[in-house]
Amino acid sequence: MAVDRSDIQGNVLRAYGSSYPCTAYVFAHVSDAGGGRAWLGSIAEAVSSDEEWRGSKPSSHRNIAVTCAGLRALGVPESVIGTFSDEFRQGMAARSEMLGDLGVSDPRHWDGGLGTGAAHVLVILNGRARDEIEAELASLRASIERAPGVSILHEQYAELLLVAGAAANVPAREQFGFADGAAQPAIAGVSDDAAAGGGVPLAGGAWRPLALGEFVLGYPDEDTLVDPQKRLPSAPADPLGRSGTYVVYRKLRQDVAPFRRVLRDAAARFVGGDEELLAAKVVGRWRNGTPLVTSPGRPDPGFSATAPGSNSFRYLDVDVDGRRCPLGAHIRRSNPRDGLGWPALDDAGLLSFRHRIIRRGVPYGPPLPADVLDDDGVDRGLVFVCFNASISRQFESVQLQWLNDGNGFHLGHDSDFLLGSPLGTGKMTVQGDPPFMLSPQGPFVTTRGGEYLFMPGIAALRALARGIGG
Amino acid sequence: MSNTSGQATAFMALTPIQPGEEAALRSFLEALPQDGSPLARLAGTHFARWVILRDWVNDPSQPREERLESPYLIFTSNFDGPLDPYLDELCVKLTPEAREIWGRCVGCPPDATGPQLKAYLLHNKIDTGFFVAAYPNSTVAQVKAALAAREQLIAFAMRAQDMGPDELFRAFAEEF
Repeated sequence: MAVDRSDIQGNVLRAYGSSYPCTAYVFAHVSDAGGGRAWLGSIAEAVSSDEEWRGSKPSSHRNIAVTCAGLRALGVPESVIGTFSDEFRQGMAARSEMLGDLGVSDPRHWDGGLGTGAAHVLVILNGRARDEIEAELASLRASIERAPGVSILHEQYAELLLVAGAAANVPAREQFGFADGAAQPAIAGVSDDAAAGGGVPLAGGAWRPLALGEFVLGYPDEDTLVDPQKRLPSAPADPLGRSGTYVVYRKLRQDVAPFRRVLRDAAARFVGGDEELLAAKVVGRWRNGTPLVTSPGRPDPGFSATAPGSNSFRYLDVDVDGRRCPLGAHIRRSNPRDGLGWPALDDAGLLSFRHRIIRRGVPYGPPLPADVLDDDGVDRGLVFVCFNASISRQFESVQLQWLNDGNGFHLGHDSDFLLGSPLGTGKMTVQGDPPFMLSPQGPFVTTRGGEYLFMPGIAALRALARGIGG
Repeated sequence: MSNTSGQATAFMALTPIQPGEEAALRSFLEALPQDGSPLARLAGTHFARWVILRDWVNDPSQPREERLESPYLIFTSNFDGPLDPYLDELCVKLTPEAREIWGRCVGCPPDATGPQLKAYLLHNKIDTGFFVAAYPNSTVAQVKAALAAREQLIAFAMRAQDMGPDELFRAFAEEF
């Protein structure tokens, strides 16, 4: 089945990337279905698709997603809503206990009405510069003011932290100071050239890209590939079933100063007092993105995340015991590649390949200046956004089984050290001779809000604006 | 033998639910607390559950539909040691709940406790075809103690990372 990119919303398959570093997220509340649909129709006209641009690069992009409460508020009948996945219909806040959003991350403390059921429509604006985004925002706000029964619930601005003076292929950093977002799943018919490292690891060192249906509904997924009847994976009822994707939105506050202090203090006891090596051990990559597996001693100063093969590595061939990249390092947890397998399992990626996500997170807030170790009280972090065909099988599985717990990696209840989790022990073991243990810390990352959303295909979005019958 | 794995035993009882009692039974089961579950009173329990089997699942391709004549209650438990003393304990410690649960099933003695309840459960017992216990030779108490020892050792190892040999020796002797 050929990919109809003109029907898939932009940024899903092809990242807007560093050309569009400025992003605004606007959550709207709809109190009148007719008014909401009319407004949606008016703003849906200018939604960007995933197609290649004709002519010059647009100055900005607009994309739209809806929550389950939003579908209801727009008058979608229950018979259609019932065809959406359980987790989407429950919403992120209802699943907070399972997700580890406890204590300070509890939905009761979330920002801007997120998680209360009041967030209905999310409009995402991406732009080249802040002033262009502001102009787009002003026009969007005006459209909401004019629309009966529509109001703004919450706005969030985010901006890529580009490395000053760096070439376009140098990945942006997240607030802790690490390259982020360069490694993405390789998809058949979309990004086949990234299969080595981004796809499914096969026996004998080969890789293959993933089926599009893992990320975009209405297309064959990995089950369809082996199903003799070639049944499509479950998607919402038509006209919403084609070209859509489920969106996970999480505002994650990062406490950078305590993270730096913990690294500094722990490094004093670490081999050679090497703070940068310890930081890399926590993440699994050096700050510039060089993988520890391929470069365990030092970062490659010329590392390019987009160079062919830069992300092509496995764990079991050279690092089965985690001496290079710890078994509990952030990237080894979030995408274990072949690392969950064992020698007799000839399909190296069998236990991880159904749990991949497309990540489109953007940092928010000003970065903490280098070398500052004291809290400045400024709210900063990451607007984590990911796309997947099944929130429970993909995003939630990664979060629950791989980041919040260590059992899958034979690490007991150890959770991801970077994110922390009140469900885990909070400690991290850096394998070595002798092993080095990082003591449990308060969480460096706090959930400040979140929603599960559905980003319809372009035709589906227009159908939603026209109104969907039972 | 098929009911045992190491020292662990599997038990299953299948009992028809009395007409009109299914909804009340379902509400009662759904209201049971998971923290402080009544089954936790039986300290040797590894896993246990009640399941209401309402009807067969009929596939559109089968020649004719099949229906259960009544809904059934399934109880399964995996536990330490042999069946007999476990059921004795169950029939005493689950007395308040047993009346609400098996008391709604066909043929359950009016006084759903003690030897009468045990005889009823044994009468409706279904043997296991194949049973695997994750810890066939460790009791629940041993598993819990091992986990606690692991936590203690991890905490000690973290505290001891910077100690010299003499200090480490003293601290270890003191802790364990």
